[in-house]
Amino acid sequence: MQPGLEWLPAPLSQPFRPHRCPIAEDRDPHAPEPVSDAELIDRVLAGDPDAERALYDAHVDRVFRLVYRMAGDLDRAQDWVQETFIRAFEKLADFRGESALSTWLCSIAMSVSLNGLRKVKRFREREVALDDALPIGFTPREADPDLKTRLARAIEDLPEGYRAVFVMHDVEGFTHEEIGRALGVQPGTSKAQLFRARAKLRQALADFAGDRNL
Amino acid sequence: MTDDQLEERIRAAAREYNAPPETPREEMWARIAEARRGRAPEPRVIPLHRRPWRWAALAAAAAAILAVGVGIGRVSVAPEVSVWEAPAAQGAAYRLAAQEHLGQSEAFLTLFRASLRQPGEHRLPAASARQLLATNRLLLDSPAAVDPKTRLLLEDLELVLAEIAQLSPSSRAEDLELIRKGIEQGDVMPRLRTAVPAGSAPTQGVS
Repeated sequence: MQPGLEWLPAPLSQPFRPHRCPIAEDRDPHAPEPVSDAELIDRVLAGDPDAERALYDAHVDRVFRLVYRMAGDLDRAQDWVQETFIRAFEKLADFRGESALSTWLCSIAMSVSLNGLRKVKRFREREVALDDALPIGFTPREADPDLKTRLARAIEDLPEGYRAVFVMHDVEGFTHEEIGRALGVQPGTSKAQLFRARAKLRQALADFAGDRNL
Repeated sequence: MTDDQLEERIRAAAREYNAPPETPREEMWARIAEARRGRAPEPRVIPLHRRPWRWAALAAAAAAILAVGVGIGRVSVAPEVSVWEAPAAQGAAYRLAAQEHLGQSEAFLTLFRASLRQPGEHRLPAASARQLLATNRLLLDSPAAVDPKTRLLLEDLELVLAEIAQLSPSSRAEDLELIRKGIEQGDVMPRLRTAVPAGSAPTQGVS
Protein backbone atom coordinates (compact mmCIF):
# COMPACT_ATOMS: atom_id res chain seq x y z
CA MET A 1 0.00 0.00 0.00
CA GLN A 2 1.26 3.45 -0.82
CA PRO A 3 2.51 5.33 2.24
CA GLY A 4 0.03 7.82 3.56
CA LEU A 5 -3.00 6.03 2.17
CA GLU A 6 -3.32 3.38 4.87
CA TRP A 7 -6.42 5.05 6.23
CA LEU A 8 -8.33 4.51 3.00
CA PRO A 9 -10.47 1.43 2.39
CA ALA A 10 -8.57 -1.19 0.40
CA PRO A 11 -10.09 -0.56 -3.05
CA LEU A 12 -9.33 3.14 -2.78
CA SER A 13 -5.78 2.80 -1.58
CA GLN A 14 -4.24 2.32 -5.00
CA PRO A 15 -4.89 5.54 -6.84
CA PHE A 16 -5.10 5.39 -10.56
CA ARG A 17 -1.98 6.76 -12.30
CA PRO A 18 -2.95 7.32 -15.89
CA HIS A 19 -1.64 9.56 -18.61
CA ARG A 20 1.18 11.30 -16.73
CA CYS A 21 2.73 13.68 -19.16
CA PRO A 22 5.97 12.13 -20.39
CA ILE A 23 8.17 15.14 -19.78
CA ALA A 24 11.28 13.27 -18.77
CA GLU A 25 10.30 9.65 -19.23
CA ASP A 26 9.75 7.89 -22.55
CA ARG A 27 12.12 10.28 -24.23
CA ASP A 28 13.72 9.52 -27.56
CA PRO A 29 17.23 8.30 -26.66
CA HIS A 30 18.66 10.10 -29.71
CA ALA A 31 17.10 13.41 -28.84
CA PRO A 32 19.36 16.19 -27.56
CA GLU A 33 19.85 16.47 -23.83
CA PRO A 34 16.86 18.28 -22.36
CA VAL A 35 17.41 21.70 -20.90
CA SER A 36 16.61 22.03 -17.21
CA ASP A 37 13.71 24.18 -16.04
CA ALA A 38 16.12 26.42 -14.13
CA GLU A 39 18.13 27.09 -17.27
CA LEU A 40 15.00 27.74 -19.30
CA ILE A 41 13.71 30.16 -16.68
CA ASP A 42 16.98 32.09 -16.70
CA ARG A 43 16.87 32.35 -20.48
CA VAL A 44 13.21 33.42 -20.51
CA LEU A 45 13.95 36.11 -17.93
CA ALA A 46 16.84 37.27 -20.09
CA GLY A 47 14.37 37.79 -22.94
CA ASP A 48 15.12 34.73 -25.08
CA PRO A 49 11.96 33.98 -27.15
CA ASP A 50 13.19 30.49 -28.04
CA ALA A 51 13.36 29.66 -24.35
CA GLU A 52 9.75 30.81 -23.94
CA ARG A 53 8.69 28.40 -26.62
CA ALA A 54 10.82 25.59 -25.16
CA LEU A 55 9.29 26.12 -21.72
CA TYR A 56 5.83 26.09 -23.26
CA ASP A 57 6.56 22.92 -25.22
CA ALA A 58 7.88 21.14 -22.15
CA HIS A 59 4.78 21.76 -20.04
CA VAL A 60 1.84 22.48 -22.31
CA ASP A 61 0.62 18.88 -22.59
CA ARG A 62 0.22 18.41 -18.88
CA VAL A 63 -1.38 21.81 -18.40
CA PHE A 64 -3.74 21.27 -21.33
CA ARG A 65 -4.82 17.85 -20.08
CA LEU A 66 -5.60 19.19 -16.64
CA VAL A 67 -7.39 22.28 -17.89
CA TYR A 68 -9.41 20.33 -20.43
CA ARG A 69 -10.56 17.92 -17.72
CA MET A 70 -11.84 20.89 -15.75
CA ALA A 71 -13.30 22.80 -18.71
CA GLY A 72 -14.81 19.97 -20.73
CA ASP A 73 -14.80 22.21 -23.77
CA LEU A 74 -12.03 22.82 -26.31
CA ASP A 75 -12.51 26.56 -26.70
CA ARG A 76 -12.61 27.15 -22.99
CA ALA A 77 -9.63 24.89 -22.41
CA GLN A 78 -7.58 26.68 -25.07
CA ASP A 79 -8.48 30.07 -23.61
CA TRP A 80 -7.54 29.01 -20.10
CA VAL A 81 -4.27 27.38 -21.15
CA GLN A 82 -3.32 30.53 -23.04
CA GLU A 83 -4.15 32.61 -19.98
CA THR A 84 -2.13 30.25 -17.80
CA PHE A 85 1.04 30.66 -19.86
CA ILE A 86 0.59 34.40 -20.32
CA ARG A 87 0.31 34.81 -16.55
CA ALA A 88 3.18 32.41 -15.97
CA PHE A 89 5.53 34.34 -18.26
CA GLU A 90 4.51 37.60 -16.60
CA LYS A 91 5.13 36.23 -13.11
CA LEU A 92 8.11 34.03 -13.86
CA ALA A 93 10.47 36.37 -12.04
CA ASP A 94 8.47 35.66 -8.87
CA PHE A 95 8.93 31.90 -9.18
CA ARG A 96 11.21 30.92 -6.29
CA GLY A 97 11.66 27.27 -7.15
CA GLU A 98 10.03 26.07 -3.93
CA SER A 99 8.07 23.57 -6.01
CA ALA A 100 8.63 22.07 -9.45
CA LEU A 101 7.90 24.43 -12.32
CA SER A 102 5.23 22.02 -13.58
CA THR A 103 3.47 22.19 -10.20
CA TRP A 104 3.66 25.97 -10.22
CA LEU A 105 2.17 26.04 -13.72
CA CYS A 106 -0.58 23.66 -12.64
CA SER A 107 -1.40 25.92 -9.70
CA ILE A 108 -1.86 28.83 -12.10
CA ALA A 109 -3.87 26.61 -14.44
CA MET A 110 -6.18 25.53 -11.62
CA SER A 111 -6.62 29.12 -10.47
CA VAL A 112 -7.51 30.21 -14.01
CA SER A 113 -9.84 27.21 -14.49
CA LEU A 114 -11.67 27.60 -11.19
CA ASN A 115 -12.06 31.31 -11.78
CA GLY A 116 -13.39 30.62 -15.28
CA LEU A 117 -15.83 28.01 -14.00
CA ARG A 118 -17.10 30.46 -11.37
CA LYS A 119 -17.68 33.12 -14.00
CA VAL A 120 -19.58 30.71 -16.22
CA LYS A 121 -21.64 29.41 -13.29
CA ARG A 122 -22.61 32.90 -12.18
CA PHE A 123 -23.50 33.90 -15.70
CA ARG A 124 -25.66 30.81 -16.15
CA GLU A 125 -27.51 31.64 -12.94
CA ARG A 126 -28.11 35.11 -14.29
CA GLU A 127 -29.29 33.71 -17.61
CA VAL A 128 -31.91 31.57 -15.91
CA ALA A 129 -33.34 34.68 -14.28
CA LEU A 130 -34.17 36.23 -17.63
CA ASP A 131 -37.73 35.61 -18.69
CA ASP A 132 -37.57 35.85 -22.45
CA ALA A 133 -34.92 33.24 -23.03
CA LEU A 134 -34.94 32.01 -26.59
CA PRO A 135 -33.25 28.90 -27.83
CA ILE A 136 -31.08 29.33 -30.92
CA GLY A 137 -32.17 26.30 -32.79
CA PHE A 138 -31.03 23.62 -30.40
CA THR A 139 -33.07 21.13 -28.45
CA PRO A 140 -32.18 19.79 -25.01
CA ARG A 141 -30.25 16.53 -25.03
CA GLU A 142 -32.08 13.41 -24.00
CA ALA A 143 -31.34 12.06 -20.55
CA ASP A 144 -28.71 9.37 -20.79
CA PRO A 145 -28.76 6.64 -18.17
CA ASP A 146 -25.22 5.62 -19.03
CA LEU A 147 -22.84 5.46 -16.06
CA LYS A 148 -20.27 7.70 -17.74
CA THR A 149 -22.82 10.39 -18.43
CA ARG A 150 -24.20 10.20 -14.92
CA LEU A 151 -20.70 10.22 -13.49
CA ALA A 152 -19.77 13.27 -15.52
CA ARG A 153 -22.79 15.10 -14.18
CA ALA A 154 -22.06 13.96 -10.64
CA ILE A 155 -18.47 15.21 -10.93
CA GLU A 156 -19.69 18.55 -12.21
CA ASP A 157 -22.09 18.78 -9.26
CA LEU A 158 -19.28 18.25 -6.75
CA PRO A 159 -18.24 21.27 -4.68
CA GLU A 160 -15.42 23.13 -6.35
CA GLY A 161 -12.64 21.89 -4.05
CA TYR A 162 -13.76 18.27 -4.18
CA ARG A 163 -13.99 18.37 -7.94
CA ALA A 164 -10.53 19.86 -8.33
CA VAL A 165 -8.95 17.24 -6.08
CA PHE A 166 -10.88 14.37 -7.67
CA VAL A 167 -9.92 15.40 -11.20
CA MET A 168 -6.29 15.99 -10.27
CA HIS A 169 -5.87 12.74 -8.29
CA ASP A 170 -8.21 10.13 -9.71
CA VAL A 171 -8.35 11.34 -13.29
CA GLU A 172 -4.95 12.96 -13.93
CA GLY A 173 -2.87 11.05 -11.41
CA PHE A 174 -1.39 13.87 -9.34
CA THR A 175 -0.10 12.99 -5.87
CA HIS A 176 -1.61 14.59 -2.78
CA GLU A 177 1.62 16.48 -2.25
CA GLU A 178 1.43 17.94 -5.77
CA ILE A 179 -2.25 18.77 -5.32
CA GLY A 180 -1.51 20.41 -1.99
CA ARG A 181 1.14 22.62 -3.54
CA ALA A 182 -0.97 23.44 -6.60
CA LEU A 183 -4.13 24.30 -4.65
CA GLY A 184 -2.39 25.81 -1.64
CA VAL A 185 -3.73 23.24 0.85
CA GLN A 186 -2.16 20.59 3.08
CA PRO A 187 -1.83 17.08 1.59
CA GLY A 188 -4.09 15.87 4.40
CA THR A 189 -6.79 18.27 3.27
CA SER A 190 -6.43 16.96 -0.25
CA LYS A 191 -6.85 13.38 1.00
CA ALA A 192 -9.90 14.30 3.04
CA GLN A 193 -11.50 16.12 0.11
CA LEU A 194 -10.83 13.18 -2.19
CA PHE A 195 -12.39 10.80 0.31
CA ARG A 196 -15.51 12.99 0.53
CA ALA A 197 -15.64 13.45 -3.25
CA ARG A 198 -15.59 9.69 -3.76
CA ALA A 199 -18.27 9.22 -1.12
CA LYS A 200 -20.48 11.78 -2.83
CA LEU A 201 -19.98 10.09 -6.19
CA ARG A 202 -20.82 6.67 -4.74
CA GLN A 203 -23.93 8.20 -3.22
CA ALA A 204 -24.93 9.88 -6.49
CA LEU A 205 -24.47 6.64 -8.43
CA ALA A 206 -25.77 4.26 -5.78
CA ASP A 207 -28.58 3.03 -8.01
CA PHE A 208 -25.98 1.52 -10.34
CA ALA A 209 -24.90 -0.82 -7.55
CA GLY A 210 -28.04 -2.87 -8.16
CA ASP A 211 -27.64 -2.92 -11.93
CA ARG A 212 -26.08 -6.20 -12.99
CA ASN A 213 -26.07 -5.27 -16.65
CA LEU A 214 -23.24 -2.76 -16.37
CA MET B 1 -22.87 -5.39 -7.77
CA THR B 2 -20.91 -4.82 -4.58
CA ASP B 3 -19.73 -1.43 -3.39
CA ASP B 4 -16.20 -2.38 -4.34
CA GLN B 5 -17.25 -3.26 -7.85
CA LEU B 6 -19.16 0.01 -8.11
CA GLU B 7 -16.05 1.81 -6.90
CA GLU B 8 -14.02 0.12 -9.62
CA ARG B 9 -16.61 1.03 -12.24
CA ILE B 10 -16.60 4.63 -11.12
CA ARG B 11 -12.82 4.83 -11.24
CA ALA B 12 -12.71 3.28 -14.67
CA ALA B 13 -15.39 5.62 -15.98
CA ALA B 14 -13.63 8.60 -14.38
CA ARG B 15 -10.63 8.02 -16.63
CA GLU B 16 -12.80 9.01 -19.55
CA TYR B 17 -14.22 12.09 -17.85
CA ASN B 18 -13.68 15.02 -20.23
CA ALA B 19 -11.09 13.00 -22.13
CA PRO B 20 -8.78 15.60 -23.68
CA PRO B 21 -8.06 15.63 -27.41
CA GLU B 22 -4.57 16.15 -28.79
CA THR B 23 -3.00 19.36 -27.51
CA PRO B 24 -3.49 22.16 -30.06
CA ARG B 25 0.05 23.41 -29.45
CA GLU B 26 0.60 25.68 -32.41
CA GLU B 27 -2.81 27.33 -32.24
CA MET B 28 -2.42 28.17 -28.58
CA TRP B 29 1.19 29.28 -28.94
CA ALA B 30 0.28 31.66 -31.76
CA ARG B 31 -2.20 33.40 -29.46
CA ILE B 32 0.13 33.41 -26.48
CA ALA B 33 2.93 34.92 -28.55
CA GLU B 34 0.56 37.52 -29.95
CA ALA B 35 -0.70 38.44 -26.49
CA ARG B 36 2.88 38.63 -25.21
CA ARG B 37 3.85 40.93 -28.05
CA GLY B 38 0.86 43.12 -27.28
CA ARG B 39 1.64 43.36 -23.60
CA ALA B 40 5.40 43.62 -23.56
CA PRO B 41 6.59 47.18 -24.06
CA GLU B 42 9.42 47.80 -26.47
CA PRO B 43 12.67 47.93 -24.54
CA ARG B 44 14.06 51.44 -24.39
CA VAL B 45 17.51 52.47 -23.34
CA ILE B 46 17.58 55.88 -21.72
CA PRO B 47 21.13 56.79 -20.68
CA LEU B 48 20.03 59.12 -17.90
CA HIS B 49 23.24 58.59 -16.02
CA ARG B 50 25.34 60.02 -18.81
CA ARG B 51 23.65 63.34 -19.34
CA PRO B 52 21.34 64.09 -16.43
CA TRP B 53 21.52 67.84 -17.05
CA ARG B 54 19.78 67.44 -20.41
CA TRP B 55 16.75 65.75 -18.85
CA ALA B 56 16.69 68.23 -16.00
CA ALA B 57 16.70 71.08 -18.52
CA LEU B 58 13.90 69.47 -20.53
CA ALA B 59 11.84 68.91 -17.40
CA ALA B 60 12.37 72.50 -16.30
CA ALA B 61 11.38 73.78 -19.74
CA ALA B 62 8.23 71.63 -19.77
CA ALA B 63 7.28 72.83 -16.28
CA ALA B 64 7.80 76.45 -17.32
CA ILE B 65 5.66 76.06 -20.44
CA LEU B 66 2.95 74.39 -18.39
CA ALA B 67 3.00 77.16 -15.78
CA VAL B 68 2.80 79.86 -18.46
CA GLY B 69 -0.08 78.03 -20.16
CA VAL B 70 -2.04 77.71 -16.92
CA GLY B 71 -1.40 81.36 -16.14
CA ILE B 72 -2.62 82.55 -19.53
CA GLY B 73 -5.67 80.34 -19.24
CA ARG B 74 -6.61 81.73 -15.84
CA VAL B 75 -6.28 85.33 -16.98
CA SER B 76 -7.96 85.04 -20.36
CA VAL B 77 -10.84 82.63 -19.76
CA ALA B 78 -13.74 83.55 -17.52
CA PRO B 79 -14.72 80.89 -15.01
CA GLU B 80 -17.71 78.88 -16.10
CA VAL B 81 -19.68 76.03 -14.70
CA SER B 82 -18.82 72.91 -16.59
CA VAL B 83 -21.65 70.59 -17.51
CA TRP B 84 -19.51 67.52 -17.11
CA GLU B 85 -16.40 66.95 -15.13
CA ALA B 86 -14.66 63.64 -14.92
CA PRO B 87 -12.94 63.69 -11.55
CA ALA B 88 -10.96 60.74 -10.35
CA ALA B 89 -13.92 59.23 -8.52
CA GLN B 90 -16.04 59.19 -11.67
CA GLY B 91 -13.18 57.75 -13.68
CA ALA B 92 -12.81 54.98 -11.12
CA ALA B 93 -16.55 54.30 -11.17
CA TYR B 94 -16.44 54.06 -14.95
CA ARG B 95 -13.54 51.64 -14.85
CA LEU B 96 -15.38 49.46 -12.34
CA ALA B 97 -18.54 49.46 -14.44
CA ALA B 98 -16.54 48.69 -17.57
CA GLN B 99 -14.72 45.81 -15.90
CA GLU B 100 -17.99 44.39 -14.63
CA HIS B 101 -19.46 44.59 -18.11
CA LEU B 102 -16.41 43.14 -19.81
CA GLY B 103 -16.33 40.26 -17.31
CA GLN B 104 -19.96 39.46 -18.01
CA SER B 105 -19.38 39.72 -21.74
CA GLU B 106 -16.45 37.33 -21.48
CA ALA B 107 -18.58 34.77 -19.65
CA PHE B 108 -21.41 35.24 -22.13
CA LEU B 109 -19.18 34.76 -25.17
CA THR B 110 -17.55 31.74 -23.52
CA LEU B 111 -20.97 30.14 -23.17
CA PHE B 112 -21.92 31.19 -26.66
CA ARG B 113 -18.89 29.49 -28.17
CA ALA B 114 -19.48 26.41 -26.03
CA SER B 115 -23.08 26.26 -27.26
CA LEU B 116 -21.82 26.17 -30.84
CA ARG B 117 -19.64 23.16 -30.08
CA GLN B 118 -22.15 21.31 -27.97
CA PRO B 119 -25.60 21.86 -29.39
CA GLY B 120 -28.27 20.89 -26.94
CA GLU B 121 -26.20 21.62 -23.87
CA HIS B 122 -27.97 24.83 -22.97
CA ARG B 123 -30.14 27.63 -24.24
CA LEU B 124 -28.69 30.96 -25.12
CA PRO B 125 -30.97 33.87 -24.35
CA ALA B 126 -30.94 36.59 -26.96
CA ALA B 127 -32.12 38.77 -24.10
CA SER B 128 -28.68 38.45 -22.50
CA ALA B 129 -27.02 39.70 -25.67
CA ARG B 130 -29.47 42.61 -25.89
CA GLN B 131 -28.91 43.53 -22.25
CA LEU B 132 -25.15 43.45 -22.69
CA LEU B 133 -25.51 45.44 -25.89
CA ALA B 134 -27.44 48.17 -24.05
CA THR B 135 -24.79 48.36 -21.31
CA ASN B 136 -22.09 48.38 -23.95
CA ARG B 137 -23.69 51.36 -25.70
CA LEU B 138 -24.03 53.25 -22.39
CA LEU B 139 -20.35 52.70 -21.68
CA LEU B 140 -19.36 53.80 -25.16
CA ASP B 141 -21.47 56.96 -24.92
CA SER B 142 -20.15 57.88 -21.49
CA PRO B 143 -17.98 61.01 -21.43
CA ALA B 144 -15.66 59.07 -19.14
CA ALA B 145 -14.87 56.65 -21.97
CA VAL B 146 -11.51 58.21 -22.73
CA ASP B 147 -9.26 55.17 -22.84
CA PRO B 148 -8.79 54.39 -26.56
CA LYS B 149 -8.00 50.71 -25.91
CA THR B 150 -11.22 50.18 -23.95
CA ARG B 151 -13.22 52.11 -26.54
CA LEU B 152 -11.87 49.94 -29.34
CA LEU B 153 -12.69 46.79 -27.41
CA LEU B 154 -16.21 48.03 -26.65
CA GLU B 155 -16.75 48.86 -30.32
CA ASP B 156 -15.66 45.38 -31.42
CA LEU B 157 -17.78 43.85 -28.69
CA GLU B 158 -20.78 45.83 -29.84
CA LEU B 159 -20.57 44.29 -33.30
CA VAL B 160 -20.40 40.75 -31.92
CA LEU B 161 -23.23 41.30 -29.43
CA ALA B 162 -25.41 42.90 -32.07
CA GLU B 163 -24.97 39.85 -34.31
CA ILE B 164 -25.82 37.47 -31.47
CA ALA B 165 -28.83 39.56 -30.40
CA GLN B 166 -30.25 39.18 -33.89
CA LEU B 167 -30.05 35.38 -33.85
CA SER B 168 -33.32 33.54 -33.86
CA PRO B 169 -34.30 29.87 -33.68
CA SER B 170 -34.30 29.82 -37.47
CA SER B 171 -30.76 31.16 -37.80
CA ARG B 172 -28.53 29.11 -40.04
CA ALA B 173 -25.38 27.34 -38.94
CA GLU B 174 -23.41 29.62 -41.27
CA ASP B 175 -24.56 32.67 -39.32
CA LEU B 176 -23.30 31.14 -36.12
CA GLU B 177 -20.02 30.19 -37.75
CA LEU B 178 -19.55 33.74 -39.03
CA ILE B 179 -20.02 35.12 -35.53
CA ARG B 180 -17.57 32.59 -34.12
CA LYS B 181 -15.00 33.53 -36.72
CA GLY B 182 -15.58 37.22 -36.00
CA ILE B 183 -14.84 36.63 -32.33
CA GLU B 184 -11.67 34.74 -33.13
CA GLN B 185 -10.34 36.99 -35.86
CA GLY B 186 -10.86 40.09 -33.74
CA ASP B 187 -9.10 38.44 -30.80
CA VAL B 188 -12.08 39.49 -28.75
CA MET B 189 -11.68 36.85 -26.04
CA PRO B 190 -7.97 37.45 -25.30
CA ARG B 191 -8.59 41.21 -25.27
CA LEU B 192 -11.54 40.80 -22.92
CA ARG B 193 -9.46 38.66 -20.61
CA THR B 194 -6.64 41.18 -20.69
CA ALA B 195 -9.05 43.99 -19.85
CA VAL B 196 -10.59 42.15 -16.91
CA PRO B 197 -8.19 41.84 -13.98
CA ALA B 198 -7.41 38.34 -12.78
CA GLY B 199 -9.75 37.18 -10.06
CA SER B 200 -12.58 39.55 -10.89
CA ALA B 201 -15.87 37.94 -11.69
CA PRO B 202 -19.24 39.13 -12.91
CA THR B 203 -20.83 39.24 -9.49
CA GLN B 204 -22.83 42.41 -9.49
CA GLY B 205 -26.32 42.17 -10.78
CA VAL B 206 -26.24 38.42 -10.58
CA SER B 207 -29.07 36.94 -8.63
